[in-house]
Amino acid sequence: MEISVIASSSIDGEIGSWDLKTGNKQLQFKPCASPAHGLTAVGEKFLAASQLRKESAASGSIFYWSWNKPQVEVKSFPVESIKALTANNEGTYLVGGGTSGDIYLWEVATGKLLKRWHGHYRSVTCLVFSGDDSLLISGSQDGSVRVWSLIRLFDDFQRQHGNTLYEHNFNEHTMSVTDIVMDYGGCNAMIISASEDRTCKVWSLSKGKLLKNIIFPSAINSLALDPGGFVFYAGGRDSKIYVGAINATSEYGTQVLGSVSEQSKAVTCLAYCPEGNLLISGSEDGVVCVWDPKSRRPVRTFNHGKGPVNNIQIVRKTIVDNSNKTQFSWKRRGSLMPPPLEKYERSGEDTMDGIVTVDPPPFSDVSAYSSFLSAGLIDEQVRELQQQGSAATEIEMERLELEYKRSLQMNDQWQKNYENLLQVVMEEEQIGCSN
Amino acid sequence: MASFDRFEDMCDLRLKPKILRNLLSEYVPNEKQPLTNFLSLSKVVSNIATHKLLSESPLASVDQKHQALSKSAVDDWVDRLLALVSSDMPDKCWVGICLMGVTCQECSSERFISSYSVWFNSLLSHLKNPASSRIVRVASCTSISDLLTRLSRFSNTKKDAASHAAKVILPIIKLLEEDSSEALWEGIVHLLSTIVILFPASFLSNYDKVEDAIASKIFSAKTSSNMLKKFAHFLALLPKAKGTEGSWSLMMQKLLISINVHLNNFFQGLEEETKGTKAIQRLTPPGKDSPLPLGGQNGGLDDAAWNSEQLIVSRVSALMLSSSTMLTSLYKSKIDIPVGSLLSLVERVLAVNGSLPRAMSPFMTGIQQELVCAELPTLHSSALELLRATIKSIRSQLLPYAASVVRLVSNYFRKCSLPELRIKLYSITTTLLKSMGIGMAMQLAQDVVTNASADLDPRSVEGFDAVSSKNMSLTNGAVPQACSKKRKHSTNSGVEADNSAFEVRVPHNHSSSPITLKIASLEALETLLTIGGAFGSDSWRERVDNLLMTTATNACEGRWANSETYHFFPNKSTTDLVEFQLAALRAFLASLVSPSRVRPAFLAEGLELFRTGKLQAGMKVAGFCAQALMSLEVVIHPRALPLDGLPSLSNWFPGSNSLASQQHNNPNLNNLNGIAHDGDDLCNRWLAKADVPSNNAIQKTLETTLPSQETKRLKLGNDLTTVASLSVEDHTDMVASENVQQGDVPVKVSEESLGQVSDKDAMAPQDGYQVVSGTQKGEDIAVTDDLMEEAPIGKKIESLSESDDDSIPSIKETDFDPSSDSDIES
Repeated sequence: MEISVIASSSIDGEIGSWDLKTGNKQLQFKPCASPAHGLTAVGEKFLAASQLRKESAASGSIFYWSWNKPQVEVKSFPVESIKALTANNEGTYLVGGGTSGDIYLWEVATGKLLKRWHGHYRSVTCLVFSGDDSLLISGSQDGSVRVWSLIRLFDDFQRQHGNTLYEHNFNEHTMSVTDIVMDYGGCNAMIISASEDRTCKVWSLSKGKLLKNIIFPSAINSLALDPGGFVFYAGGRDSKIYVGAINATSEYGTQVLGSVSEQSKAVTCLAYCPEGNLLISGSEDGVVCVWDPKSRRPVRTFNHGKGPVNNIQIVRKTIVDNSNKTQFSWKRRGSLMPPPLEKYERSGEDTMDGIVTVDPPPFSDVSAYSSFLSAGLIDEQVRELQQQGSAATEIEMERLELEYKRSLQMNDQWQKNYENLLQVVMEEEQIGCSN
Repeated sequence: MASFDRFEDMCDLRLKPKILRNLLSEYVPNEKQPLTNFLSLSKVVSNIATHKLLSESPLASVDQKHQALSKSAVDDWVDRLLALVSSDMPDKCWVGICLMGVTCQECSSERFISSYSVWFNSLLSHLKNPASSRIVRVASCTSISDLLTRLSRFSNTKKDAASHAAKVILPIIKLLEEDSSEALWEGIVHLLSTIVILFPASFLSNYDKVEDAIASKIFSAKTSSNMLKKFAHFLALLPKAKGTEGSWSLMMQKLLISINVHLNNFFQGLEEETKGTKAIQRLTPPGKDSPLPLGGQNGGLDDAAWNSEQLIVSRVSALMLSSSTMLTSLYKSKIDIPVGSLLSLVERVLAVNGSLPRAMSPFMTGIQQELVCAELPTLHSSALELLRATIKSIRSQLLPYAASVVRLVSNYFRKCSLPELRIKLYSITTTLLKSMGIGMAMQLAQDVVTNASADLDPRSVEGFDAVSSKNMSLTNGAVPQACSKKRKHSTNSGVEADNSAFEVRVPHNHSSSPITLKIASLEALETLLTIGGAFGSDSWRERVDNLLMTTATNACEGRWANSETYHFFPNKSTTDLVEFQLAALRAFLASLVSPSRVRPAFLAEGLELFRTGKLQAGMKVAGFCAQALMSLEVVIHPRALPLDGLPSLSNWFPGSNSLASQQHNNPNLNNLNGIAHDGDDLCNRWLAKADVPSNNAIQKTLETTLPSQETKRLKLGNDLTTVASLSVEDHTDMVASENVQQGDVPVKVSEESLGQVSDKDAMAPQDGYQVVSGTQKGEDIAVTDDLMEEAPIGKKIESLSESDDDSIPSIKETDFDPSSDSDIES
């Protein structure tokens, strides 16, 4: 397993990537200028990023890169500019949030736009899948956070009955929502949202209620969650990374983990890497910093150079030992890039052609295994022989005996007939002779 | 001489050739000597396997002489087998071939590589020889399969192996067509499966031929149901031979068309004619060539069998089994699963319940209907299996279809009363819940709960006569209440109507649900609680908790099943009973651990039950109870682990220290390190309580708070709050740096002192910072629900104490002044 950090920027530039363990710089993907939360790894398959476009452009754009090529491989142009982009854990669906507040759900394998619905009144700023991919949480510029059950979204029956589409609607933020994280609590998970209104709010998924409001001294740009679930890290606009406690009694969370720069450039994005328990921050001055949250020290920095970093992702790639093999599998993967995303939902009969493309599970090319049978065959035969008294053979014996008796009788019958016939013939003969 | 040699022990290597020679002379027949004792063969085989008699000790440590001895013994063994294989007598030949298969499995790599092709040819000759007897052929198939299996484990002989495998295919296909013995068919199918798994390339030229031969066997009226399954399974493996997406899709298309064509005939008069034509149209879209029907041109479409309902159903079941296997077995390439067609097929089958549509009734005789109805359950069962395989294979990508699947399942649940089919339905729900997660739990919860409560109805426990009257009264009390609850909480009015209808019907049809059905429903409930337990707090949760507690206590009442003690019949174990207990306990544990609004209502019962269970002799149940107690330990001693227990990062970042030193002044670094190396844990926290801090304020707060804590502890033994208070301190350490920066209290004190947190609280809201521990994560959420409505601090305390208020109602009422409040937490 190889863990890389990838980072993109809002200014036209490239997506940088570094090996987290060694710190080596890896391939750069370009060109890319993506909005915050616009960069995502699709499964472990490839990289996708929505693009910031000039005002004049009518449509938005989303680019795909495969892991081994710096150039854009697939370009798609959705109907409007896409702000937030995220893929589910398996990498089978891609969800984008537009500036109009619409949310789009594409099937990656076919590029089909499966669903488009009006999610928010203003631009969607961030999208998060729940751990089991069945729920989607969206945050918007209008300050609302909504939880969607994807199954229900596809349930036309319920749609027609006028039920609201979302499961929960959290309206307590007064300004734009900047980031959302969800912990590992499953059905009882907590959702934490950050906002420009200088608060982070903790919500209960199962109850659909606000649990906690934490006030910070500055607007919060980004969140990362400690998997243990008690603290979260909040990247502030004042260059500080704050530590917030989910269960704090105080309304104020001013604990500082550290400050990324002296010039008070804003912390723009955070990511938590469970392998090694690392916190990774990106800031407006283009520095990506890896922190050890336990000692609160930065342990490594990467320089993204041009422009402010606004997206950080941790991606895992499976390493294949043989270098030739790697080449080969990458080549294969490269050729398997999915088609571009479609602009419009299909209508009528065409909506669902009823075909779902399933990728082979990872590691499916382990060699096949088959077991030996001869010894079993011998044992089975021997057992059959030993069970001579068993019901089946007994019945068979009975049947044969019966048949034998019957044929004996039949034989007698025939014999008698023959003798009778013979006698008749003889008598005839004798009569004939006597005549 | 040799007979005076002594061996060291039973593992002595010199023993091996001796034993082998002995076996050879005593038990294995030779050319002249007839086969006397057939039964001793299994002893020969087991001896070879136990002592590894054919392995020829490759160890270098063994002296030359011994090596020669062992080699010559195995040489003799192989020579004898080859002689037997070429013998004219079928019985000797059979023995030779079978033992050859064992030799392929057991002999050393060198010997195998050097002589496998000789062995292969001698075995193959029996398959090709038209005069050889049937038992010899069966044995040859098995032995060749073993030989190929061994061969596949060498990486350098792949090509040669594939060419060998290719040689087998034509002769055995010929045999398959000519011979009519099922034993031989079985051997052949096994050999074919081995080849398709290990050497798929060898099928290339004969692919269609093989497919036709297998299909014609499936369509033949003479094949037994057991054999049908084997053929169907192989047919599902066959597309692996080509290994492309196309071959998989083509096979699936053929199967589905064939199934639908059969159903068109079978369902005549039971459904609208258009349904069948629509299904076929969907499978063969216009503009594309429709594939050849399965089994060649005449694909069993017009034979005499058309009139036998039983035959059609067994065929359709076999084809469905084949599709299910295709869906669930691993493929190396991408596959396009025709979900739409699969689901509509399942829907089509499940829609037919044997009743006649009014318009159709004149066209069907009573006898016809009777025949169809007799076979329908089998058909439904296969269709459900197909549905499960479909869900399993596409997992999260079922999304666009999920809602319709849910509707299909819940509608069918309402109609279906046959236990076997209900078991299948439960397993489908479990699969759905596992693959789709929370969203699915929200959709399915009501159905699962309604049906499982009906199937687990404790008044209908048959076969469990040990249910005491005491328990009966308990459950009788519980159930009607549950039912009324359900009615009250049903949201959808349509659903409610159906539910009540269902309830009325249930007691008649489910008077004794078989134990397997109960197990299935328990598993479904367990999965529901695991995945969506927190969502049920309003409607169904209380009812389910109650039901599971009753079921578990009933299942364990009086007799803790023990597979050893209940041996009424030597070969029949009481696994069913044990399984049921395990399922009940497992579901009960899930209901205790699954997050809910309040403290688990039956925690005490649960702990007692698991404690008793742990002492039982049945290892399975006892093992599970121990595990359950461990899981519950976290519930009764909630903990919040501090960050500083994490492993060091030195192996990740060797140079990290230098980097840290050059920038980012962290004034409290040293303090933090000091904490980290304290080696603190819960135990230290307990001990720390005894220390009285010097700080006056702290002293004061201590006085106010300690008594109440002590009483709690006395009352409860292990009380939630006291433990919670410990864990709070963990957090203070973790996030304490800010305080330290303020500089009045050293961090060390904060770690040990009780009052520290309250001290800080006084400093809030400016810069004080504090964490309230989760007593237990789940409860905490529940507890903090209405946090926003009132002042955060006071309310928080009240809610905290709520977590254990069941046992100490007084605590809630006690007047807390703000300072003591915060101390309860700390």
